[in-house]
Amino acid sequence: MLRAEERSTTEWLHHLTALPGTPGHEHAAAREVEKAFGLYADRVERDRVGNVRAWIEGRGAAPRPRALLAAHMDRIGFLVKAVEPGGFLRLTELGGFDPRTLLGKEVVIHSKPQMAALFGTRPPHLQRPGESDRVLPVEELYLDTGRPEREVRRKAVIGTPVTLRQPPVSLLSGRMAAPAMDDRAGLVVLLRTLESLSHDRPMWDVVAVATVEEEFASICIGARTATESIDPQLGIAIDVSHGDMPGAREGDTVPLGGGPSLCVGGNIHPKVVDGLRASARALGMTVQIEGCPMGSGTDAMDIQIAREGVPTAVIGIPCRYMHTGIETVEPRDVDRCAQLLAHYLAALPEEWRATETLK
Amino acid sequence: MSRDSAPAFEERFLEAFSNAVGVSGGEESVRTAVADAVKDHVDTLEVDAMGSLVARIAPSGRRRGPHVMLCAHMDEVGVMITGIESDGRLRFRKVGGIDSRILVGQVFRIGGNGLRGVAGTLPPHLIQRADRDKVAAIEDLYLDIGAASRAEAQERVAIGDYATFDTTYERWGDTRKGKAFDDRAGCAVLASLVRSRPPIPVTAVWSVQEEVGLRGAAGAARRVAPDLAIVLEGTASGEGPGLSPEESAPLMGAGPALTVQDRSLMADARLVDLIERTARRRKIPTQWKRPGIGGTDAGRIAISGAGVPAAVISVPCRYIHAPAAYLDIKDARRTVALVWHTLDSLTKEWP
Amino acid sequence: MKSLAASVDSLLPTLLSAFGPPGRESGVRDALRRALRGMGRVTEDATGNLHWRRPGKGPRLLLAAPMDAPGVIVTRVDGTGLARVAILGNRSPAELVGASLRFEDDARGLLGCDRPKGGKNGSELEADQLFLETGLGPKEANKRFRVGSVGAIEDRPIRLGDLWCAANLDNRAGCAAVVAALRAAHAPRYDLHVVFSAQSDLGARGAITGAFGVDPETAVVVDVAHLDAKETGGAAVGKGPCLGLKESGFLAHPAALALVKRAAAAARVKTQWLIRESEGSDARAVRAARTGVPTALIAIPARRSGGPVSFVHARDIAQTADLVARLLQMPPPNSKGGRR
Repeated sequence: MLRAEERSTTEWLHHLTALPGTPGHEHAAAREVEKAFGLYADRVERDRVGNVRAWIEGRGAAPRPRALLAAHMDRIGFLVKAVEPGGFLRLTELGGFDPRTLLGKEVVIHSKPQMAALFGTRPPHLQRPGESDRVLPVEELYLDTGRPEREVRRKAVIGTPVTLRQPPVSLLSGRMAAPAMDDRAGLVVLLRTLESLSHDRPMWDVVAVATVEEEFASICIGARTATESIDPQLGIAIDVSHGDMPGAREGDTVPLGGGPSLCVGGNIHPKVVDGLRASARALGMTVQIEGCPMGSGTDAMDIQIAREGVPTAVIGIPCRYMHTGIETVEPRDVDRCAQLLAHYLAALPEEWRATETLK
Repeated sequence: MSRDSAPAFEERFLEAFSNAVGVSGGEESVRTAVADAVKDHVDTLEVDAMGSLVARIAPSGRRRGPHVMLCAHMDEVGVMITGIESDGRLRFRKVGGIDSRILVGQVFRIGGNGLRGVAGTLPPHLIQRADRDKVAAIEDLYLDIGAASRAEAQERVAIGDYATFDTTYERWGDTRKGKAFDDRAGCAVLASLVRSRPPIPVTAVWSVQEEVGLRGAAGAARRVAPDLAIVLEGTASGEGPGLSPEESAPLMGAGPALTVQDRSLMADARLVDLIERTARRRKIPTQWKRPGIGGTDAGRIAISGAGVPAAVISVPCRYIHAPAAYLDIKDARRTVALVWHTLDSLTKEWP
Repeated sequence: MKSLAASVDSLLPTLLSAFGPPGRESGVRDALRRALRGMGRVTEDATGNLHWRRPGKGPRLLLAAPMDAPGVIVTRVDGTGLARVAILGNRSPAELVGASLRFEDDARGLLGCDRPKGGKNGSELEADQLFLETGLGPKEANKRFRVGSVGAIEDRPIRLGDLWCAANLDNRAGCAAVVAALRAAHAPRYDLHVVFSAQSDLGARGAITGAFGVDPETAVVVDVAHLDAKETGGAAVGKGPCLGLKESGFLAHPAALALVKRAAAAARVKTQWLIRESEGSDARAVRAARTGVPTALIAIPARRSGGPVSFVHARDIAQTADLVARLLQMPPPNSKGGRR
């Protein structure tokens, strides 16, 4: 049995993507994240909305400036919304699955004890002509547990979380497909960054936050409330970015295995991106620039406009097939994101600020 | 300057600000121009964490009043370069709300050096008849800078560069033509006011990223924590052929437009009332902006902290969010005067 | 319970007919001030929220209930004396056809609609197809109605058996339940802040600033939820208060939800679950205030009529009042509040 410290990046991805954690039900995942962050952080705490926060104390003189790093620990999923006669379950969605990828998939219903189930689908023999041409929206899908209605009603009460049941798959070149790479791969980046900073201490305090509820609602409540209470002078979100896929338009994706992607645009402070690019040059690492004209769609959206405004950046882990059960990443990209982030933070001068005084 | 005579509207600011390039997220050039215009006349001048410019004016002497935040946004709608094709064509996406129909055939200024590019399209001769009536999807559009290859394009353009309409400020009669009057008109009104040092504690904010979700004003309002706020805008006039005056309101040339309500804000009734009374007393014509449409930084400021009473005073402009807009210089002058006299009224009439 | 029901029944008609469209809540503020007379200090904030506080030793609890109700705002008055309006709040144009309106200065009017173009039924009506008949000539109409005049639905509540039928039940029913509960609860175990929030129908704006000002440790939002079989599953009017699990922007916090569940058990009030897809309450704003607030939602179930009127069961309101009154006596949730 491997000690946790000796887990490889691939093993950490296996471990963390297997955890449940639909938005609002991150507590079980949070316990594991606390253990993982606790390997390297000076202090780990859970705040009242459920975020896990791991602190690395800086070398600078107190009071030190603070850098907030955010990766979200929730994963897209469902809640049981109604139990219909026959024990079939209707669902409400938490986060945007591609409904085209759900028919026939297996799920875990997080009742006590858990139950497996699958999305029922009518066989072609019984379909009406044209029926197979229509994508079923989530409200028309149903789960079948294969169990008696009475048992289902007792266990799967309304509000029970449901996640996809798909063990991680190893692909060639070390690549890995699993549900919840978005954003458990980001949690591994945080973990590796904490590991590195615990040896090579920055001047700043660094707070790595595993946030709740990034995938739900128009505001990222975990990132927003964490920013309110931590009051950081810098915020960096780590999330997945779209990996290259056939048919995608030029500029909309970044190559898998090509290293970290960096967003540019209004949601990003140019000085932070400049610093990250300088770190990449120092490390001899290639980064990929992603234009985000209307925002990054990550925790950074809410970090930036919390309090009196926070300079932000987004580091992206290239990931194919986002919001399906087969989100695919290359572990080398995960490591490189962490190297980049740790280098940038370790090199950050104590007096660096995004604000300027002109008079 | 006596408080009975309002400062002049400095048209050179409008010209300079309008010609500057500042798509949401890339407002540096506008910020520099504004800072140059006001630096010598304010007590403090700072750039906040998102890039908004914040100037404080604490009047000397005994005259006091509420702490007022005046805000105008520096950013304009435009596009961002998001991809470079192997043949050197640039892929782009919109920044802010632009009608897709106006993009095709336009000339753009790209990046900091003003590189020109054209939004090309197949001529009608080469399009299937059935497709001629269709609006081109933004996914099918591209900017042509004349480059023959990706490598050549990459020498001049980077992913993330902004581009805006290639429009130059002009004047005829009382009409002014230029790009980005939403909200460089407000920026110029605010710079004109600040230079004359209002008689009341004022924090002037030239905000960023209004056009992508009223984002810059959020942090600025929290930091300034004012007693009340007035947002200065260049707003949409609805004039066009076949419309009655009440359908076209606010009208260009008919005075500053006041907001009761828009999609982001219920303006503070007492504040609007005070502005309206001030206008009547000073014989400044005003008009009502049509409720139910649009939104401004005032919406964001009003819900900042434990709440801020907020109002909007706008210069009516035709054709905002398009390559070129019109405004009437008289409206800009009247807006300066109305805000100035409102600040004066606030010293006496605000609880 | 009996006395709570009587209390609600006596409060509700006044609250329903009080003037209070979003952003212009003066009438309902006055009605609530009168209802709370003698119970301590009531204040108003910059957004128009009404605050009532009973200091106590326990953790700070925010009880929030929206007080505004949908209305209209005049966008222009045309040459014939008819006015055009935009809707303030979550009502479809079709639901407002036939509504009788009262304006701030007591001017009155009736909403009609132009014949819908193209659409097969009224639900496809656009707001600019609504017109306000003022009964006045162009000159007089222009004097009484100006761009920006705000009108409220003139509510004439009807009681059919146990069913309240009225236009402003959302959320005057919740306000009545909260006031009744405050009257009944003598020594709350909390440092209690009550906010009757303004502008909730415009995106929970009052809840945003109100909750920021209060900075509570736990919050409970009391609102009305319109049910719709397709959207909300099996919940029904008359079967007890709904406890919100999920709605637009809101997921219940386990600690706050547990508190409400304990109170319901103690009060022997049967509750139902609420999951809805497209609509939301103040709860989404309260939970996001400052460093985050563990928040629960108690929603009084309502049914739409398709017109201006909704239906709410009197017992559901009384039970909500009972539940809230009991909640104020419950031992506070685990002070850490985390999701363990």
